[in-house]
Amino acid sequence: MVLWFNSGHSYDYDFATVTLAYMNRYPNPYATHVQSVDTIDCRIDATTGDLMLTKLIVKTGRLPKFITYFVGDVTKSWVMEKIRINRDTQTMTTYTRNLDHKKIIIIEEFTHYSTNADGFTDVQSSVKFSSGINKFGIKNKLESWGHSKMQENLRGSREGLKFVMLKVNERRQAWLEQMA
Amino acid sequence: MLTPHTTYQKIDKMGNILSASFAPECDEKKATYDACFNSWYTEKFLAGKSITNECEELWHEYKECIDIALVKRGMVKMMEEAREEASFENSGIPQNHDEAKK
Repeated sequence: MVLWFNSGHSYDYDFATVTLAYMNRYPNPYATHVQSVDTIDCRIDATTGDLMLTKLIVKTGRLPKFITYFVGDVTKSWVMEKIRINRDTQTMTTYTRNLDHKKIIIIEEFTHYSTNADGFTDVQSSVKFSSGINKFGIKNKLESWGHSKMQENLRGSREGLKFVMLKVNERRQAWLEQMA
Repeated sequence: MLTPHTTYQKIDKMGNILSASFAPECDEKKATYDACFNSWYTEKFLAGKSITNECEELWHEYKECIDIALVKRGMVKMMEEAREEASFENSGIPQNHDEAKK
């Protein structure tokens, strides 16, 4: 079973603010389930000049009951994230996916950030839910859970990112003025 | 004295709050690296003043700590499996664009 959810959004901040905020989006009051973020790889692509980061994120379990039935008491999940930033084109692509509990569900998120004509930042994201569970009734439950979860997650991550962007923007401006 | 991990909070020189490491023993090294990265990213990388990661040495120190922590927690196999998967190599571009647009 595979489900896709697509969404678009725009933030009233420039690329520098959005990307710095994105990389520092945890901790924030909207993401209390996120325990840690580590940078496990960091390099610059020699041909494109892209900054490429790999992050390891630990989240505490917020899986629904019908899934914990299969996996037992899941308290945390490891998520890997790939970030690619191109300074010249002002674009950032991110990809996240859970590393464990893959037999139950794989949640992948593909996001593309780019600078629009107004100098603000547009975001396009696709979330893919894949599950190998084929038990009767589970597919429908998973589907409706996926839908509501997607909405909830999207709202939470946007609010969280906005919260961090506001702070980052203020600080970055002050910091750059101080440096000048 | 060490602060309990649950109340962990580190701030870089710009004032950004830094996230914790999954391994509390690596928190200090992570904070030093993160603070360096945020400054380098803002002042140098985005400004086009630097094409090399000036925080690489700090990252190696931090990474060394993380690698040991991953071994201790039995995470190495899972990490290696992930690295080998094509989806991660593809850096976030959906494998099937048509499918993604549905």
